[in-house]
Amino acid sequence: MITPLEFLYHFRDLLRERGIRFAITSGMACVYYGLQQNTKDSDWIIEPADLPKLRALLLEYERRVPPWRISYRHIFGAPLVEEYLAAGWTSHLAIWPSAGGPEEHVDIFGAPPRVLPGSVAADEMGFAEPDLVAWMKRTDRDKDWPIVDGLARILEGAQMPEAALHMQQAAALRAIWRALPTAVQNTLLPHRPLLAMIESVSDDDMLQGLIRVERTIWETVNQERYRRYQHEWKEFYRRWKKEDFWEWPTPEPFSRQHERLVRAAKTYDLPVVILDEAAKEAAWTRGIERATLISGRPSATVLALAPSRGRMLP
Amino acid sequence: MNVDSLKLPDSYYEHLAEIMGQEAADWARLPRAERERELTRHHMLYNTPDDLSLWPAELDGGVDRP
Repeated sequence: MITPLEFLYHFRDLLRERGIRFAITSGMACVYYGLQQNTKDSDWIIEPADLPKLRALLLEYERRVPPWRISYRHIFGAPLVEEYLAAGWTSHLAIWPSAGGPEEHVDIFGAPPRVLPGSVAADEMGFAEPDLVAWMKRTDRDKDWPIVDGLARILEGAQMPEAALHMQQAAALRAIWRALPTAVQNTLLPHRPLLAMIESVSDDDMLQGLIRVERTIWETVNQERYRRYQHEWKEFYRRWKKEDFWEWPTPEPFSRQHERLVRAAKTYDLPVVILDEAAKEAAWTRGIERATLISGRPSATVLALAPSRGRMLP
Repeated sequence: MNVDSLKLPDSYYEHLAEIMGQEAADWARLPRAERERELTRHHMLYNTPDDLSLWPAELDGGVDRP
């Protein structure tokens, strides 16, 4: 029986063999960095242009002897197609690499949230760099924020200036910031406006309060982003479910499932682009309004702390 | 970044203990190979998926609810 970690590294090696550009992120990356003790799912950022090669790999392994059993999972997700994943959707697969063995959950991103285009980088082991994982972990889940802070500490230990982008503790942030040359500080400021306030706020508790407001902004903007995908997917799913003899996921091979899901996405109108420029602006604005209400701070303060729309919703 | 060659100070692990608990900090101190052995042992003992719910929490219990 193959273990989840053996599967992770085997799948990584297969992607490399096929020239598929990838980075392992989220839970397994946090295990790698020593910040998460347990996960079974693996999350992969795959270059959307390489998805045809990934589908070919899956189809090949479904036909080999002994075969992998591969299936879409029932959860919220789009077809494993370039256009959808490049537009921020995710695809979710279950893979049984051995008969009778456990299923492996494989979650695939093409354009991961909060990660700037062209900045996906993996180390020699195939894991996303800590800076990238830290941007992805700015979610509205409480459990992710200690990980953002832990990744900042790792970046600090590696003497990388990006530590200042992710540090969640006021005193440590102040110390890191002051040690950076001005030229480096200037490259970081557009990503984290709070950095510009460090010297004007002398009290660490006050600075900690601003860090908390900043976190609230990330949380609410993420909720506004996610809820738009969720709404469209629910509407699509409800329309699709009205088909006669509807079933999902079907027990058929992945190749047939994939055709079925692609056809359903077209027939029942699962939109490719959820966040066009206007929708991004609306999500960002609404997120900041909500963060203002939640934090009880003046709107000017919240707006001054908010990273740009392009930084939060690239 | 190669985590195998990264040496972090004691203050890092003390901070992890503060924000994540002592057990998590002790785990982080282990060499990567040992962490992976622990994780595999856990997977063998507790063969459960990460998320047991039929629908993820983000869908508020599923598409059958308004």
